[in-house]
Amino acid sequence: MKYKDKIDIYNDLSKCVAKDVPIEALSPVYNPYMGKILDLFKRTAFINLPKLQNCIKEGKAGWETSTGQDECKMPWYGKDLPIMDHAEEIANGIRDRIKVGGEDGEDIVKLIEDTIVVKMPKKVMEIAASRDPVYTWVMVSLAQTVAEVFGIDPIKDLNTTNMIKAVIFGRYPQSTTFSPGAPVSSFLKPSNTIDGLGCGYSGITVNHIVALANKRTMDGLALASILEQAAQWEMGNSIGWYERYNLLGYAYEGYNANNMTLDLVKENRSGTVADIVYSTIKRALDDGVIKVKSKAASGYRFYATNDFPMYNAYELSGTTAGVILNSGAMRAGQAASAAIAYTHDLFLYETGGLPDADTGRMQGAGIGFAFYTHSIYGGAGPGAYTFDHVILRGSGFIQPLIVAGMCLDSGTQLFSPEMTSGAFFKIRETFPIFQDVLQKVGESAEEIKNDLKG
Amino acid sequence: MAEKSEYVPNVYPGKDEISERRRRLWDKNRSLLKYRNIAEDDITELLSHRSVRSAYVSVHPPLEEIIEPYDPIKHIVVPTAGARAGDRIRFIQFSDSFHKPPIAPFGRARLYLARFRGVDTVVYSGRELLEMRERDLEKATKTLLETEIFNPALDALKGITVHGHSLRLDEDGLMFDARRRYIYDRETGQVVYIKDQMGNVLDNPIPLGPPMPEDEVKKLCITYSWDTQPYKARTELFEVMTRAAKLRVMGGFNPESINEKM
Repeated sequence: MKYKDKIDIYNDLSKCVAKDVPIEALSPVYNPYMGKILDLFKRTAFINLPKLQNCIKEGKAGWETSTGQDECKMPWYGKDLPIMDHAEEIANGIRDRIKVGGEDGEDIVKLIEDTIVVKMPKKVMEIAASRDPVYTWVMVSLAQTVAEVFGIDPIKDLNTTNMIKAVIFGRYPQSTTFSPGAPVSSFLKPSNTIDGLGCGYSGITVNHIVALANKRTMDGLALASILEQAAQWEMGNSIGWYERYNLLGYAYEGYNANNMTLDLVKENRSGTVADIVYSTIKRALDDGVIKVKSKAASGYRFYATNDFPMYNAYELSGTTAGVILNSGAMRAGQAASAAIAYTHDLFLYETGGLPDADTGRMQGAGIGFAFYTHSIYGGAGPGAYTFDHVILRGSGFIQPLIVAGMCLDSGTQLFSPEMTSGAFFKIRETFPIFQDVLQKVGESAEEIKNDLKG
Repeated sequence: MAEKSEYVPNVYPGKDEISERRRRLWDKNRSLLKYRNIAEDDITELLSHRSVRSAYVSVHPPLEEIIEPYDPIKHIVVPTAGARAGDRIRFIQFSDSFHKPPIAPFGRARLYLARFRGVDTVVYSGRELLEMRERDLEKATKTLLETEIFNPALDALKGITVHGHSLRLDEDGLMFDARRRYIYDRETGQVVYIKDQMGNVLDNPIPLGPPMPEDEVKKLCITYSWDTQPYKARTELFEVMTRAAKLRVMGGFNPESINEKM
């Protein structure tokens, strides 16, 4: 293997699920479970049938904010189509249109309660330069199917034909974005709205992840880490010098490597964030990751390290524990930013200037995030942010911690997961892959640990 | 292995008095000196979040009554009393003068995170926001107002309209407040709050004690300056800061490049 580092992975009950796995087994390139999650995120679209029916009936289309969904309302062009009564028929129509020959047997269209879940065929995605068929193919096939099922054409009923297009596509292409909360959606944003290379997996709302993990903190951390890690890999932020740094960082932050995060939380379960910082440094010292370099006149110790990527991972684990402790004590997601921003201030002054986690980026992004979630420069609750928001993108390690904070919220947020991401709780039930994420990452790493070749 | 028992938190560098004071404030094992007593009802009035002795309003049912999805972490971390009861989250905001303050915004963050549990804080240039569950906040406020980190003349509760921390002090030595929340009572020699932190007029003015005398102010000052601890006193601190800046840059450039000689 390229790197000698081996770690154990523990689930949230502190049970070891993978022993002595090389850190490469936690790379999105190798870990099969991560691959499956990413594939699912990339290829899945959802059609919300009640919403579709309601919008066509009320002539509601092309809105631009999620809170202003009746911005454009033209009931005089609306038509009461019994879409829900024909759900099965519409699902079959979509299947016929998007299936390609020689499929590997997986059902690409499923009707789950009132939602049609479409998993785009692999072949279509392979020939596409982007992942846009998830939107384009599904939208066009839906429009065709609805027109066919209800016998609508421009000569007989021009207004309804137009309205179907408007409801499904919104203002596209006059506007580059689709309406937020539109009947057709996917996990990822359409590629023309992604700001920055490789930010695709980073475009997901915090609360969606919280809902997909059913507010189970360590699973939320792990799922957010998979996505953000994949984004970092796609951005090129994990090549060469940064590979081990990122692998270790996510292992300790997101996947509870060596049970360190949970140990720190348990040790300080009724303590403060500063206690967590001291425990982390003590552990780094005991494990030989850092050592005393010199002593100043006041007795102040300067610490030094020969293995900064490992020390960075320890700091990330400490920060994760800090966020869990702070948000857990307050049982409020809003406290995550304070722990993210100022834990690093404590780390810096405690070690005599060893760089804080992600060499200062976490602190910088954390302070900005605190400003924007506390009505200083406007903004919203932490749960409403997407990972690629300009405030959060400064560091690739900050997003999972916000998810952890929101998982521990017991109902203090206006932007609660139940309010913004209700559908994702249901999606979790539909896809068993979202259950016990942390455990599955570990098991998957255990499976491949002997097959990895560096 | 000998290091195992040797670890004691550094907290802060420096051999001078200011550094020592910073170290004391941020070390939760060392108690803060008490300067005055403020009644709990007065604190409730100053915060202006609820009427005096009224019941706490809750934002969600008590934790014991909520049915939440299973999460082992929620059974590990001990929630604060306010979180357990489902209190609303309320805030207090302090502004600290530039003129020899007993604490400054950056110091408040470190103090809050070291001494209180379940805190949400944001540091700004001249003010510091602290959000907590309501009953936890009232408890914390008591510590913050009664101890050495509050000088009625130089620190102020400013929920809104915080401007004034960098202005000259007025003729009575008080920090500027555009809302005139507090005045200096020349008869009693006390700083009296005539408005709560939101600027609403109080039915009964609340005295928070006399401004500290100049020698006390100097003794409790948290900032370095020519007449407290001068430039050269900061040798260790500068060493930490320059090292941090260099290592942050190098670590960001290539994390593998950092070695123990740096």
